[in-house]
Amino acid sequence: MPIVIQPYRAEHEAAVQEFNLRLKAAGADPDLVFFRSAQPRWLPHVEGSDLYQEFFVALDDGVVRGGYALKQQNFSFADGSVRRIAYYHHPLSEGIVNKSYAVVGSLLLKHAMNRSPLLHCLGMGGYDRPLPKMLVRLGWAHCLVPFYFSIVRPYRFLREMQALRSSVGRRLLMDFAALSGTGWAAARAQRTWRRFRAPAIKPFTAEKIEEFSGWVDPLWQQNTSVYAMTAVRDSAALRTLYAASDHHFTRLRIRRNGNDIGWAVVGERRKDEKYGAMRVGSIVDCWASPEDALPVVRAAADVLEQSGYDLIVSNQSHYQWGRALEQCGFLQANSNFIFAASKSLAALLQPFEKNQSLLHLTRADGDGLPRNF
Amino acid sequence: MTPTIFEQVQGIASDLFGIPAGQITRESSTESIEAWDSTQHLNLVLALEETFSIQFSPEEMEQMRSIGSTVKLVENKLQNSPR
Repeated sequence: MPIVIQPYRAEHEAAVQEFNLRLKAAGADPDLVFFRSAQPRWLPHVEGSDLYQEFFVALDDGVVRGGYALKQQNFSFADGSVRRIAYYHHPLSEGIVNKSYAVVGSLLLKHAMNRSPLLHCLGMGGYDRPLPKMLVRLGWAHCLVPFYFSIVRPYRFLREMQALRSSVGRRLLMDFAALSGTGWAAARAQRTWRRFRAPAIKPFTAEKIEEFSGWVDPLWQQNTSVYAMTAVRDSAALRTLYAASDHHFTRLRIRRNGNDIGWAVVGERRKDEKYGAMRVGSIVDCWASPEDALPVVRAAADVLEQSGYDLIVSNQSHYQWGRALEQCGFLQANSNFIFAASKSLAALLQPFEKNQSLLHLTRADGDGLPRNF
Repeated sequence: MTPTIFEQVQGIASDLFGIPAGQITRESSTESIEAWDSTQHLNLVLALEETFSIQFSPEEMEQMRSIGSTVKLVENKLQNSPR
């Protein structure tokens, strides 16, 4: 029987469970689990909504051999057009444990490309992973979305940052820097110097709000054309992505002289062993004219600092948002957050080399939401 | 002279798999061509779609186990496609 790819329905749930068990039994990474429920818990398809998820499964005579998910979302382009773009995620194939199904990964991607030619992937964990390797070989346009971090509590950072404490020598050096106070002094000096060199910020106010509403729409309309591509961030989209009932996020409204200039969403990153026991805050999402990125980033970072986080992180693709982060004392580190665009999507972003730094992509895009920011 | 569908498929496969066109026969398959892995399989399908202005489903893509079966599928698609 040929493999057929179908929308994931409730009647497939038992077969998906068996698929997950087979992967686990064959020693696959415990994180590689396909969705137990056919109905997406986050962003289910609601009549009339442009922002939703859909799941598909690859069936071999009723046996599930793989699956993938698409997040359908409207994106705005610099020419003013708005197009439906799909985010391809969670592809999983039995081919990772059984070579007989090696082709399933390609079949899943082909199905997604047929369904949504304007396709992108974002995140993926680095170029050494199978999916980005495949996308590169397929000739997709791709780039890294820069990663930024700011050390709020140097002692905690030096003692807990497991990703850097990778050898005895490094651990000794980091412990010395932590205990002697030299780490604290160096971090403070670096931050102070960067903030000193930053342009003066005109006074602004930041207000925590419960929910996004109509005031964000003029901001959205005024600034869409300055970005080569950005997910639609109007009030309807923001209320869906950051529902008032979701208390993992803090929503900020930033104003100057009583006029709205931008907004930001911040939150606590979920525990990750590379950060040890540190509390890590994330600037999840943000919006403003690039000229107003600095006060928005400053407001977001200040709120996270005051909330007691040890480290603040953010991914930003647009160069002016990256510059604003650096002006607030953030440092740039190696990123594993990859943006890859299908050939049809890349055609809308030409010249890609130039436009990649004009995209507005944040941790709220790709695999960042609902909890991986 | 217009190249046959086999010759065009042969040329695409030669470019993709990095082997001389003369060595690619109808019997050449995923088993006999080492470079014909799952990613190159998708690349082959995409190149055929572009060349012949047709579209394959994942089910059809799975049937392309050899150059001969691939040529047959392309021929069927072209015969059945509206002119």
